[in-house]
Amino acid sequence: MALIQIRELVKKFDDHIVLNKINLDVFDGDIKVIMGASGCGKSTLLRCLNRLEEPSSGTIYFRGKNIMDCDVDIRELRQSIGFVFQQFALFRHLSVLENVTLGLRKLRGMTAAEANEKALFELSRLGMTMHCAKFPGQLSGGQKQRVAIARALAMDPAVVVFDEPTSALDPVMTREVADVINQLHQDAITMICVTHDLQLASQISDKVIFLDKGVIVAEESIQDFSAQHYDEKVRNFFGSGS
Amino acid sequence: MNAWLAFERDLLDQLPLITDGLYHTLLLAGIVSCTGLMLGIVIFYLSLSKNLLIKRFINGYISFFIGMPLIVLLFLMYYGAPQLGLKSTPFFVAIFGFTLNVAAYNAAYMTTAYNGFDQIEFEAAKALGFNANQIFRCITLPQVLRFSVPALTNQVICNLKDSSVAFLIQYTEFFARIQELAATNFQFFKAYLTAAIVYLLLVSIIVLLARALEKRLVIPGMNAT
Repeated sequence: MALIQIRELVKKFDDHIVLNKINLDVFDGDIKVIMGASGCGKSTLLRCLNRLEEPSSGTIYFRGKNIMDCDVDIRELRQSIGFVFQQFALFRHLSVLENVTLGLRKLRGMTAAEANEKALFELSRLGMTMHCAKFPGQLSGGQKQRVAIARALAMDPAVVVFDEPTSALDPVMTREVADVINQLHQDAITMICVTHDLQLASQISDKVIFLDKGVIVAEESIQDFSAQHYDEKVRNFFGSGS
Repeated sequence: MNAWLAFERDLLDQLPLITDGLYHTLLLAGIVSCTGLMLGIVIFYLSLSKNLLIKRFINGYISFFIGMPLIVLLFLMYYGAPQLGLKSTPFFVAIFGFTLNVAAYNAAYMTTAYNGFDQIEFEAAKALGFNANQIFRCITLPQVLRFSVPALTNQVICNLKDSSVAFLIQYTEFFARIQELAATNFQFFKAYLTAAIVYLLLVSIIVLLARALEKRLVIPGMNAT
């Protein structure tokens, strides 16, 4: 059974349809890359998964359970879905270590020592141990994103979703983040990555889902997406040099 | 020269009373700085509520107490309220009146700091699974307090200076004792100059402590506190 099953998902903001009958399956260990132009609904799709946005209709099954059911504990659901934001979203008043341990202490009820041990394990996996006493304002963009990933991983989520993880990064840092995502993929961590960065997409996945105006237009090998693609929307997007 | 000597003699004679007045000034300013901060935090917390009724009430509270001169509020509570059967001591009225006033200002400072924040951090906490209270306690409040330190410490200075208003409701604080000193020998200039120097000294100490606190609370890697 798929870890996440999205069926006929619709999200509207007033009369504006942002997601239109999305169907998607994500299996354990998968890495799904969703591409599309700005405003096509990529981020909204991710935000529906942990109900940061409430879907207008349709269903999302997480481990076989409809997340829209009234008996679903949203906070527990959110702890199972690690979210990595475009702008890193680190807590700027906390050190790197505290950023990672906060959720473990407050949500998982770990002692400071247990939380530190777990956080240091995740930070070492991402090569950030030597920066654990620093504050977000003292880190580069790539380092901030690594900390954000460590913070998400520390909660042992079933899936990690990345919302445009490299849009605020230069090509070198993008490569760094791509390496981290590949490493996590090797560790069998399930991931969904939303991006309009072709460089990142090609570095982390063979297949890409293309979203346009809230509709999944194609799911194909990345080599098939080009300026010569059969679909005009895809041609326009990839032909523009994105 | 004789006038200075006479003033000095009277000052020394009344020094125990003046010291007692100074103690009451510091007591009032200290207590209302704490209670005003605590109530200010509660008001700020409520101002973040999604409940429209609570939001309107809090906005009304802040506008009312910032808009009303402190002396009017104190007179209303001390001289007006007894006509409704609500009589209280000058100390209690001063603490209560100041707290309501100071809390409104403190809540406004915190709201200003909060409005300057990027909401993404709160969203990240929500995505991690934090509930609204945890987000307030762990993310919002620590940052709001840090970024409001200059405004909040300025308010402490205002509390100290404004405490002199309390003598108008029979609270015998420092300025009330200085008034008594001035009335003893009619050396108004010297008496008020003494008061000004003492207030200036106290304010300077608060400023120094505030700067030290600001330095201590600065977030590494950020320019502002």
